[in-house]
Amino acid sequence: MMSPESMDAVFQALGNAQRRRMLDHVKNHPGCSVGEVAAGFDVSRVAVMRHLTVLEEAGLLISEKRGRTRHLYMNAVPIQMIHDRWASEYSAMWAGRTLDIKYLAEQRAAADGWDAGSGEGPARTGEAND
Amino acid sequence: MTETAKATPDGEVRTSMYRVVIRASIDTVWSELIRTDRPLPFFFGGQYDTPGLKPGAPFAMRTPDGQFTLAMGEVIEFDPPHRYAHTFRFTTSDDPVSVVRYVLKEVEGGTEFTLINEHPASDPVSKSEKQMAQGAKFIGDNLKSVVETGKATFGGRMMLFMFSLMAPMTPKAARSEHWPLDRAPKP
Repeated sequence: MMSPESMDAVFQALGNAQRRRMLDHVKNHPGCSVGEVAAGFDVSRVAVMRHLTVLEEAGLLISEKRGRTRHLYMNAVPIQMIHDRWASEYSAMWAGRTLDIKYLAEQRAAADGWDAGSGEGPARTGEAND
Repeated sequence: MTETAKATPDGEVRTSMYRVVIRASIDTVWSELIRTDRPLPFFFGGQYDTPGLKPGAPFAMRTPDGQFTLAMGEVIEFDPPHRYAHTFRFTTSDDPVSVVRYVLKEVEGGTEFTLINEHPASDPVSKSEKQMAQGAKFIGDNLKSVVETGKATFGGRMMLFMFSLMAPMTPKAARSEHWPLDRAPKP
């Protein structure tokens, strides 16, 4: 079980669009440096560091110092604990199916040029059937 | 901490990490992690078959009845109660050998447990890497639950139940007679 304080920290860390995008970047580039994350964002390095610290304190990022560089990794365990709290294996299966249909249909709608504005979330291209 | 700097013989590795704080002493977490005397809920219900966990020793994770072998590996590092590392390969795939490291650290309120998975980066994201990403979260979550409450998580128990149902469907290739300990993947 996660303590209420730990859970607050996770939701607070995720409650910011820029931090979510930083987490996306680290997830897709495991072991990346702070500088590499900063390069993708139009804010000061200090601001980036502050965001990364919030993510790390929430346990969503693991940073390792090697030489002079800090390497960043995403930690999926807190997300899994949130999942475990509200989802069961059974609901996860049906919710997963529901989302697969959403991703497939939206992919096709996008291919047909149907535009309902861009959403946020995993980019699912062609792996909805995994 | 420098464990992720170590490369496999294949050169570049892709590293993923999973970390959780467990409310238990480091010795308790360690002893659950390396139990060889019963099936491990956080290791898909598999049980160690090994002459003894020490560097260079092979092991197989077999179903409790011994009939099927889920995975094999060789111990690379064994430093109680802080570090344990082994090679790893599922019996049902031809994927390159990956490395799993466990790092335990005493912190306020318990033990920080980190599972590190190193996969050869030359390999496109393989089926077993995806399985291991699932598995690593599963192991972190379930080890925490087993140590803190004596029970696997609900998801863990459900998965064990599913595995027991699936046993008759387990591929013939996974039958233990095909997996003597000398087939453990070398680092």
